[in-house]
Amino acid sequence: MSGDGDFLALLPKTAFAAPGRGDPSHPALEATTVFAFHYADGVIVAGDHRATAGNLVFSDRTEKILELDRHSLMAIAGSPSIALEMARTLQTAFDYYRRSQLQPMSLAAKMRALSRLLHDNLPATLQGFGTVAPIFAGLDPATGRPSIFFYDPLGAQFEGVAYAGSGSGSGSIKSVLHYLEQWGQPKPAQMTLAQAVVLANRLLMTAAEFDTATGGVDPLRGDFATVKLLDAAGVRTLAPAEQARLWGAAP
Amino acid sequence: MTTDEPYRWLDAIANRREYIRDQLKGATPVFAVSRPEGVLLLGVGTGQSKVFEVYDRLALGALGHPVDIEKIRQTVIEAAHREGFTRAPEDVTLRRLLNFSLGPALKSGFEQIFSAPLMVECVFAEVGAAPADDVLARVAFDGTYRFESGLAVVHTAAAAEAAAASWLRDQLAGAASVGEVARLALAAWRSLTAGAEFTAPDRAAALAAAPAVEGKVVEAALLERGPGRVCYRPLGAADLA
Repeated sequence: MSGDGDFLALLPKTAFAAPGRGDPSHPALEATTVFAFHYADGVIVAGDHRATAGNLVFSDRTEKILELDRHSLMAIAGSPSIALEMARTLQTAFDYYRRSQLQPMSLAAKMRALSRLLHDNLPATLQGFGTVAPIFAGLDPATGRPSIFFYDPLGAQFEGVAYAGSGSGSGSIKSVLHYLEQWGQPKPAQMTLAQAVVLANRLLMTAAEFDTATGGVDPLRGDFATVKLLDAAGVRTLAPAEQARLWGAAP
Repeated sequence: MTTDEPYRWLDAIANRREYIRDQLKGATPVFAVSRPEGVLLLGVGTGQSKVFEVYDRLALGALGHPVDIEKIRQTVIEAAHREGFTRAPEDVTLRRLLNFSLGPALKSGFEQIFSAPLMVECVFAEVGAAPADDVLARVAFDGTYRFESGLAVVHTAAAAEAAAASWLRDQLAGAASVGEVARLALAAWRSLTAGAEFTAPDRAAALAAAPAVEGKVVEAALLERGPGRVCYRPLGAADLA
């Protein structure tokens, strides 16, 4: 007993101690499928609710689309502990910058901040238990235009001109989005909000068909994806009740 | 001068207090008002010079030397973000920041008689779940502070400040909107800046006047009451109309 009140120092002695590296009986926890695409009014960012540890469903109530500030979002795939800490760090960094400098951080600086955190996470990535591959959606205050970016686990950033996806189920989703972008009527970028919300939920249901790590979405039972929107007015969360209304109203 | 003799130290402190009050004489007042919609902060300056966001539910209104306001602002913003990151945003409270961070720093700065004093008077506001939970703290340049209920006026002359607060408190009881509160506060601002003493403005004229001051910027913000994480919202002319 150290007596200094430091709870974190107690963690290694509890059942929540971190699993040993490379121990197959303790597979690392992973948050799975997230994606973003442009629709007519802005960007929709969506994800399922599932976190897995190997073949186990660890949670079906995981929030993976995180609002960093009024003009930026991060969707996480990979190690939740590190990804959530990255999101918390960015949230504080953006707020601190805005409040102390009396101006919002530029979109380019926000993107670079995430890139730096990913790069700093290189040791955990290389050891195989702390990989994070996020999607970032941000608004350029000068143009009012939202953009989508995706990252590799080492911090390289790429713009998803039409869409981006990450996590184990994102292969199916990106395939469908590519098809719709090429031959869809309407294309995702032309869709209304209702159409985009229906598409987002159906994409996750499609991914879940082929990927056991994607799940927790079943609109017919009232279980909707986590959906956040980014447009010129900023970030907005679509509650399940609103998604249900749009689901019913969509053609 | 040596200060190892108690009466010389007291003399130096008294001189310092007098000097700061003299230097602050030209500064213009700021106001904080607790409303059902949230906490309104208002001052008149050059834009981003009087009213500031501090943390999720905290804001600052200040008068004094701009550089010193900046020092106070940066100090408290840094302390709030460190605490919010280390523990949780809910642990960042005005009472804790004043007790353990800003109050001691201001007092220590004031008593360092061989260094330049901080010439700042300010009000900090924390919005709560209901108006009764709001916290308004009137902070003086020497680190002393007192918590106010519903309204805080910050001015450089104590008697005029108290008179303005008394008048404003009476008027605010019937104010229907944030815009009306802003007009009444601006009427008090005009009276406080017109002379050494506060003369009660006419309520009807105050409410009829435009929420503007020629050649200056009305700086106003609302700490909005509600479930949102970031409560600070700057108010423009349209919000005060």
